[in-house]
Amino acid sequence: MGRKVYLDNASTTYVSSEVLAEMLPCFNAIYGNSNSLHSFGREASAIVDRARDRIAHAINAAKSNEIYFTSGGTEADNWAIKGIAHAYSNKGKHIITSQIEHHAILDACKQLEEEGYEVTYLPVDKFGLVNIVDLIHSIKKETTLISIMTVNNEVGTIQNIKAIAKIAHDYGVIFHTDAVQALGAVHIDVQDMEIDAMTLSAHKIYGPKGAGCLYLKNGTRIENLIVGGSQERTKRGGTLNVPAIAGFGKAVEVATRDLVINQQKLRSIRDYFLRNVEEKIEFVHLNGHPQQKINGIVNLSFEMVDKESLLMLLDMEGIAVSTGSACTSNSIEPSHVLKAMGVEDVVANGSIRFSFNKNVSRSDIDYVVEVLVNSVSKLRAISALTKAGRK
Amino acid sequence: MYSSYILERFQRPRFAGGLRGANGTGKAGSEEDGDVIKIYILVDETGLITSAKFKAYGGVCTIVACDIACDMLIGKTLEDALRINNIDILERMGEIPESKEYTSLLVEEAIKNSVEDFYKRKEREERKNQIN
Repeated sequence: MGRKVYLDNASTTYVSSEVLAEMLPCFNAIYGNSNSLHSFGREASAIVDRARDRIAHAINAAKSNEIYFTSGGTEADNWAIKGIAHAYSNKGKHIITSQIEHHAILDACKQLEEEGYEVTYLPVDKFGLVNIVDLIHSIKKETTLISIMTVNNEVGTIQNIKAIAKIAHDYGVIFHTDAVQALGAVHIDVQDMEIDAMTLSAHKIYGPKGAGCLYLKNGTRIENLIVGGSQERTKRGGTLNVPAIAGFGKAVEVATRDLVINQQKLRSIRDYFLRNVEEKIEFVHLNGHPQQKINGIVNLSFEMVDKESLLMLLDMEGIAVSTGSACTSNSIEPSHVLKAMGVEDVVANGSIRFSFNKNVSRSDIDYVVEVLVNSVSKLRAISALTKAGRK
Repeated sequence: MYSSYILERFQRPRFAGGLRGANGTGKAGSEEDGDVIKIYILVDETGLITSAKFKAYGGVCTIVACDIACDMLIGKTLEDALRINNIDILERMGEIPESKEYTSLLVEEAIKNSVEDFYKRKEREERKNQIN
């Protein structure tokens, strides 16, 4: 079997051995329903409480009961948008978000629009940053919720969350952030950053799929998204996925503990990759902010090359990358994120997201760059587009 | 997502590249829309297509559709080439995602344009000869 290099960690990472070890006993040793009153249930409930404590501690939540477990980031995003909007609908029906959010946010907002809510989708600059002045100008007296992602999942740009949250509060508006890509990449302190609600997910930080949570500051009202049980302080019905939650808690603890060292590794690998690509391939654009971005995501556009063709050629050599968000990569439409950033369609058509994990080596990168050089050159050799007139 | 036939043909297209001496070129698509294809044909004095090649900017199916089209063109008369339609190309491609079926239409257009280009060039040449 040929060499394999996985550079699609923004879609999902593997489950680390530390996390897996935490999960395994929850499948057949501690298997009670965490909502049951008997000892088996209490044992499972203790596992859930421990995970809740670990996550609360990692993000500096005032209390552990501000963490509500969900099936993942998409559910938490849906819940935050619809649940908060509905809970405050007597105050107003206006929500502000950005054009580059994950579809879990955008589609939830679209549903609210169908219900009669008004949604402002803030534009971003060419680096993917929300303009604070635009934000201030879009706030109305009917605005109840502002939701801006901490880190963009396609290009890695980091928003000025603390400043945005402060503005929201100055106008008496609740602030939610999707921090799925931020967890383990940037330091998150919900009290210092004045975050009222925040979405997190396990499977981007070496945790399992199917586990996420909504941090909801005590006192923030929310309507249920899922009913049918008294779990999660009656706010989210459904038997808790104890093994996944145990893994999530451990993954958050490890991600926080190792944040600095992991980021150093990722930065070094990212810079090495970029240096090599820039040296060896012409007509390449880096999408996203040059500095204000996380280290694990690099989004590059290769001119005169179609992203799907390039992805498939890399895949044939054992290299896994993405043409954008995994949730939209089957779409033939250009990325909504790059479009919002003003990247021309012809450039966006050749964009590939490379996302690294802490174990990617320089030798892996050497292999990826070698294959990338050959693949781009092969596609350009047969491309109907020419270099003439390109900068 | 793609059949092994499509992937194999994408990885090793048989007719990719320019064609020296081509006397008909057909273009279809636009850079803005994400696909640009060019089909080159070489037609002999009897009106038979003796060689065909393509250049393409596009996804997997765009490249495969072009490759299949070139395969179909070789050995055909110009009249028969004009009869190739997108259904013929789709049949040869086998199962592909519905969202990619448009590539067969682009190829059909490029084939027609290449034949048309051949006739135009021939007409220009004949006029030039008459003047001389």
